[in-house]
Amino acid sequence: MYTLNKCLVHSCKNLALSTFDEDGNITGKGNYCLDHISDPGKIKEQIYAYIKNHDVITGLNTTGITFTGIDLTNKRFYGCNFQHCTFTNLHSEGLRSRMSMFDFATFSDCTLLNCNMQFTSFAGCTFSHTLFTGSDMVQNNFNGVQSFQSSFDDSDLYNSRFIRAKLINTSFRNCNVKKTFFIECTQENVSFKMSNTREAVFTPLGSALSLGIDQGGGSIF
Amino acid sequence: MKIYFHLNLGGFSNCYVVANEKCKEAIIIDPGQITEKIIDNIESGSYKLSGVFITHNHGSHVHGLRTLRKIYTPKIYAADWEVAGNDTNVITGDGKVRIAGLTVRYMALPGHTADSMVYKIGNVLFTGDTISAGKIGTTNSSYSDFILRNNIDRKIFSQQDATVLMPGHGPPTCVGAEKLYNLDMVQITEKDEFSETPLSDE
Repeated sequence: MYTLNKCLVHSCKNLALSTFDEDGNITGKGNYCLDHISDPGKIKEQIYAYIKNHDVITGLNTTGITFTGIDLTNKRFYGCNFQHCTFTNLHSEGLRSRMSMFDFATFSDCTLLNCNMQFTSFAGCTFSHTLFTGSDMVQNNFNGVQSFQSSFDDSDLYNSRFIRAKLINTSFRNCNVKKTFFIECTQENVSFKMSNTREAVFTPLGSALSLGIDQGGGSIF
Repeated sequence: MKIYFHLNLGGFSNCYVVANEKCKEAIIIDPGQITEKIIDNIESGSYKLSGVFITHNHGSHVHGLRTLRKIYTPKIYAADWEVAGNDTNVITGDGKVRIAGLTVRYMALPGHTADSMVYKIGNVLFTGDTISAGKIGTTNSSYSDFILRNNIDRKIFSQQDATVLMPGHGPPTCVGAEKLYNLDMVQITEKDEFSETPLSDE
């Protein structure tokens, strides 16, 4: 887990991709990053094959790879690194993840229903038309996410953080948001109906309260 | 290296078991509470518990130590002697310890408490209460706050952006994300920029 090797190119600061032996298993050997690897198509195929053939995936590093139309139903990811990856048309039901890093990844038109993703980081991610409906997302890091037309409905977001997130047309209906931080979030058309918002931590940035009520009432501050 | 995460429901703190599968040894970082699951992690892998590392001497990070010492005889590393009395291997400043086949680098990072330590194993930083996702640790005074921010800037933000941060409370994060979204640390740079801007009207 977390064998985050640097790219073998001395001046490159990117992380190296996982390497595979002849049987298709992950080895801890050094490798190049996606920018410097000689055959990006081959490593992508190996990563796809590894995910397809294994239900429990531990310590996989796929930094920067684009995943299109992949099915992650009932896969289990432990300590995997998907930083700066792009997921398009991803479909999964019952995906399980622990201590995995999806920082600065992009999710576009993805469906992750009934997932169980705990202690996972999505910092700086972009969610566009992405559904996390019915998921168990306890103690996750969503700081700085940009979410457009996405849904976290019926999810458990206990102790997660949405600090400095940009939430547009995103719904958190019937969620458990106990100890969830929504600090300095920009919100447009965000719904928390049926969620226990009294237990969450909010700051009024982006709402009419912080912007001041110009029409007749004056500023509250 | 395998890292197991445990949430201590008593103080909502995080406890980590770091196991080396090759030499079958393990270390624990911040045993806030020793649960059956933690013991099971160690015993099912047939690991020898070689060491315990304490990020700082607060109850939610050390309460499990008493239980742990009844079962195992690990070396205890902390910056505060009071953690385990004479059995404590007191570490100060910056340095490294070779234990369980792993190199554990330690960095003193006072601010939240005087004895705050950060441990680095591979590319993972165990930050205790110095920094967590989007926030920095609480402090008792503005001076401690200043010291903490400076230390984070010098010792944590100087790491690679992809370095994973495993905090004492809350979800994991990475250095790159904290540089962009940390409420307390990003403010400091904004203030600095602001103070350097000359006032045009005066």
